[in-house]
Amino acid sequence: MKITIEGKPVFAHVIVELEPGETFVAESDAMSSMSAELDMTAKLNGGFFKGLARKFLGKESLFINHFSNLTSEPLTLHLSQPTPGDIEVKELNGESYCIQQGSYIASEPGVKLGLQWAGFGSFIGGEGLFKLVVSGYGKVVFGAYGGIVEKEINGEYIVDSGHLVAYGPDMKLKPQLAGGIFSSIFGGEGFVTRVEGNGKIYMQTRNMSGLASWVNRHLR
Amino acid sequence: MEDQFTTVDSSKLNVVLRMQPGSSAAEIRLGPRQSFTAEGGAMIAMSPNVHMMTTTHKKNSGGVMKGLKRMLGGESFFLNHYSTGHEGGTVWIGAVHAGDMMVKELNGEGIIVQGGSYVASSPDIEVDMSWQGFKSLVSKESLFWLAIKGRGTVVVNSFGAIYPIQVNGEYIVDTGHIVAFEESLNFSLTKAGKSWINSFLGGEGLVCKFKGHGTVWVQSHNTTSFGSILGPKLKPRK
Amino acid sequence: METLDKKGFDFRIDCKPDYGFLTVNIPSGKKLKVEAAAMASMDTNLEMKTKFRGGFSRFLGGESIFINEFTAQNGSADIQIAPACPGDVEHIYLENQTIYLQNTAFLASADSINVESKWQGFMKGFFSGESFFLIKCSGVGDLWFNSYGGIIPIDVEDGYVIDTGHIVAFTDGLTYEISRVGGYKSLFFSGEGLVCRFSGQGRVWIQTRKITPFLTWINPFRRVKSSN
Repeated sequence: MKITIEGKPVFAHVIVELEPGETFVAESDAMSSMSAELDMTAKLNGGFFKGLARKFLGKESLFINHFSNLTSEPLTLHLSQPTPGDIEVKELNGESYCIQQGSYIASEPGVKLGLQWAGFGSFIGGEGLFKLVVSGYGKVVFGAYGGIVEKEINGEYIVDSGHLVAYGPDMKLKPQLAGGIFSSIFGGEGFVTRVEGNGKIYMQTRNMSGLASWVNRHLR
Repeated sequence: MEDQFTTVDSSKLNVVLRMQPGSSAAEIRLGPRQSFTAEGGAMIAMSPNVHMMTTTHKKNSGGVMKGLKRMLGGESFFLNHYSTGHEGGTVWIGAVHAGDMMVKELNGEGIIVQGGSYVASSPDIEVDMSWQGFKSLVSKESLFWLAIKGRGTVVVNSFGAIYPIQVNGEYIVDTGHIVAFEESLNFSLTKAGKSWINSFLGGEGLVCKFKGHGTVWVQSHNTTSFGSILGPKLKPRK
Repeated sequence: METLDKKGFDFRIDCKPDYGFLTVNIPSGKKLKVEAAAMASMDTNLEMKTKFRGGFSRFLGGESIFINEFTAQNGSADIQIAPACPGDVEHIYLENQTIYLQNTAFLASADSINVESKWQGFMKGFFSGESFFLIKCSGVGDLWFNSYGGIIPIDVEDGYVIDTGHIVAFTDGLTYEISRVGGYKSLFFSGEGLVCRFSGQGRVWIQTRKITPFLTWINPFRRVKSSN
């Protein structure tokens, strides 16, 4: 299987080349074009109730598509996400990783998706009550609104809510006020998230609520 | 960046595309006494010696295209003609949906282009809005299509990065992702998965299956999905 | 971290031209002025204070009247700044020059730059969705501005015509006139609306996207207010 990402960072889209016998899993509606001979089957995202939980709490789709190459020739599949933005691929080797709600796009069949309680701290910091945890073996494809930049954290770093995309599972997220009370309200920053730990985090250079506020300012 | 230099053949346009694929704009460099047509509302900037005129039909074309309401935004589809005098000039053209742009040279053949994707064309290109080939299409987008034919240059835009697919047999494209395709291709609406239930649950619904030999230009993203995510976050309208 | 010139702060702009993201390294004890709500991430030793920007005029223009000042304490600190809309970020180092920015274009500047709103008057204002205010920046120091779409600089020598919705910034020394393009019929049918004719010598920065068509497109996706 070969996975290439083109159009980075603004209209990143994924090109998957599947060898005979290979399968790739992607969320609903992610397919933009594909070889006609590719088999596409909708499956529940890991059990009905878990799927429902993932849909309402994790903002992922209830159903997921399994694309399988049942022929004897390599076939191609093009995937993208509903919002414009960057896409990254991560290879998991048994470990787990945390991805923000709504960022998951696709993965190899050996990757498991689970929801985990993220804590009220995460919620106050604007990162949501739940986080999506991916684990297992294989590649996982996730996307963002905006460009994705990596940052190496050594100890602690402050990230504005809505800009955090993915982070290692042993990192702690704590909410904090950006400045004093006056600043936090009028300075527009509000609560931010203090990320504590060591390792790499992925941030997005824009976020949907920022876009919505900007558009709202122009709407009558 | 493509740079097509033709000072001899005035039926071709010298177009340089910038800021691809996200915020594309076309820099059209005109020689003396050259002209081209572009969609109304698309001009970003122009050098002072370029003249602009608005019309509802293509210059030198027999028929009159009635101003069609653009399905995407209710804007009327009007055209602007840009021309230069004895000095050349430059016109910068953008698009409603900033996304990618593509320049296609046509040598008599025709392509079918999604209505919202037309940006500009050189004088000998015919733009026909009455193409009904997709009338049977039931798709999420309410689109209209243009049949474009002739000798010269066409500029189209997309929401998303544009990538070409060479069809040799059959290929499936989600209908909201089609930018343009060669006239010679056959197509039909079909379900994406093995069964109807599969297709709808899987979110793909109806897709377009292209058959034959030719190129389809696909855009990586589609406006409906993005609008459905952003729309609910905005102030409600009256 | 690259520095484009040795004067001013160290900085880097990623993801140009579509999602321009600015990283600035603020030396210990120094201050950076940043547009409200634009901070995306930062080192923990930055202190943030919110200041009143200067004039209710900005408020009338629909923009925030506050600006944040970040001061690095006990060491230098990194700050990452993201505008709200998709688009480019550009930098200019002002040496006692003046630049006028579109009302939403200010992103960040050194403390030494003077930032004020200027009312353009009814006739000179940029219509078609943009407000009547420009931001005047002058002094010595770094200035970063952002746009909706990619930024293209155009050197004006003997005039240029630019759709008002596409102007980001221009240098002092240029004069401009707002007018229709193409005659009366064009005002309503061409979709061009108003354009700005610049004359003189200087530089104009244009953006490849325009807000008004985007708003028209997204309108049908908005929820409808219930009329109870």
